[in-house]
Amino acid sequence: MKTSILTLTLSSFFCVAARAELKWEQNTIELHPGIGDKQAVAHFKYENVGKTPVHFKSVKASCGCTTTQTQKELVNPGEKGEIVATFNIGDRIGQQMKTVTVQTDDPVPAQATTVLTLKADIPQALELKPNFVYWQSGEEPKPKKISIKAAKEFPAKNITVKSNNPNFEAKVKARAAGEWTIEVTPKDTSRVMIAPLTIETDYPKGAPKSFNATAQITNPPGAAPALRPSPAAPPAPATTSTPAAISSPAAGGQR
Amino acid sequence: MKFRGFREATVLIALAAILAISEGIYFRDKISWQSPIPASELVTVDQARAWGDGAIWVDARPDEEFAQDHVPGALSLNEDRWNELLPQFLPNWSPEKRVVVYCSAESCNAARDVAKRLRDEAQIKDVFVLQGGWEEWLKKK
Amino acid sequence: MASPQSSAEGDEDAKRVGDGCMRFFWRILDLIVGGIFVYAGVLKVLDPAQFANDIDNYKTLPWLVTVRLAFYLPWLEIFCGLALVFRCLYRGGLSILTTLVLVFIGATIAARVRGLDITCGCFGHVSQNWSFPQHMAIDVAILAGLTALWLPSRVQRAAS
Repeated sequence: MKTSILTLTLSSFFCVAARAELKWEQNTIELHPGIGDKQAVAHFKYENVGKTPVHFKSVKASCGCTTTQTQKELVNPGEKGEIVATFNIGDRIGQQMKTVTVQTDDPVPAQATTVLTLKADIPQALELKPNFVYWQSGEEPKPKKISIKAAKEFPAKNITVKSNNPNFEAKVKARAAGEWTIEVTPKDTSRVMIAPLTIETDYPKGAPKSFNATAQITNPPGAAPALRPSPAAPPAPATTSTPAAISSPAAGGQR
Repeated sequence: MKFRGFREATVLIALAAILAISEGIYFRDKISWQSPIPASELVTVDQARAWGDGAIWVDARPDEEFAQDHVPGALSLNEDRWNELLPQFLPNWSPEKRVVVYCSAESCNAARDVAKRLRDEAQIKDVFVLQGGWEEWLKKK
Repeated sequence: MASPQSSAEGDEDAKRVGDGCMRFFWRILDLIVGGIFVYAGVLKVLDPAQFANDIDNYKTLPWLVTVRLAFYLPWLEIFCGLALVFRCLYRGGLSILTTLVLVFIGATIAARVRGLDITCGCFGHVSQNWSFPQHMAIDVAILAGLTALWLPSRVQRAAS
């Protein structure tokens, strides 16, 4: 009995594999882009192991952040090729999973559709938790804390924080190697205002990266919805930090 | 001997069920039982509209799609330009507001991802995902 | 010249040593196979939400089913693994584990045919980086171990 179960299982596996026309080297590719990488590229290699040519009807990515490139529309028997999937990382962090659905003219419906999966674990240089602290207008101006943790791949030794709004005071306290706490205290919470906080690091040496957090005095309940920057603070500038600057803590990074 | 095996399997199945149910009770509030997005975080178009000015609409779709058309008054906040767009979103938020995030359709994950980042990183409460997304909005327009 | 009686005693001694070695070998196999399932179950019991999400990412089952399986299966694995380790409810545990592994291998192959690469399997989130061949190799090895444990004389002895 034990032999027959094993034989049945293995033969089903091999039978199924032998029927497929387009054989994929890997259906899932895991990538580990470095800090600062803008793209993660996966090469899905295939080979036509059948006896008839295979025509690609469509190749669609699950999101606009992933572009695909097929080298050829028609794959003759014995020919090899690859589909290149380029995942534009943007400001994403943590575990990401993007799929590419490939439709061919394979007569067997179950084999006509293949889902290729690109997995990327995007490191976060500096994790800020939270990256936004606020007080409601009229609230007691107690200090609020932002915890900062540097990734192993980002060995910053020191950080400084600047607020362009004199109403907000920000102090950095080192906790351990690669860990700091920023204590933000407003002087006055009577007026609605916003202050971008720029966190500057000393890594990498030639072009140290900076990250952003935000401190805000919000509207009291029932007030007008939109906040206009107070005259004391210039309008919050567009993020000018380097493309890989990440101002948000990852909370485990869900797909 | 066959029945003995069956009896033993039944005991094991029952023991596992007891522990699984106990664990389910322990996690009952921490997991969504009906859909991957907890019911407390999903909102229909009608519900969100009923909030009126108490809602801030957030479009999690790519820039081009937002530029083509979007919910009137919605703010663009996507993961492509998160670091640039978040500071533009925050001045429009206040604690009594409810944030409604949408992307193209029910099947798209972008709204869920953006909502999660708002909750985890900015620690903003009252963030909801629009059921059915932009497609549903257009149907109900 | 050795007497017939001493040669018979020698044969019996050799047989006892052989039997002892075989019992030791089978016991180790019980512990390894049972231990693997206990370990796999514990990993998933600690974070059922993550396990449910891992399964859901492949969109093979509706969420209603996925989330309930995510709670139930790990406990079943733990109890059946313990059944092998402690040789209590042995036959029942072995039956369930063999069925689980067969069903899982079948489901993995079926998903592969559809073009889905199920890399989340026996070891939950920990196994998400395994390739399809790695997954199949581990699963077939576990099935081989379980199948070996089905030898009639073994099962009777273990169940007694």
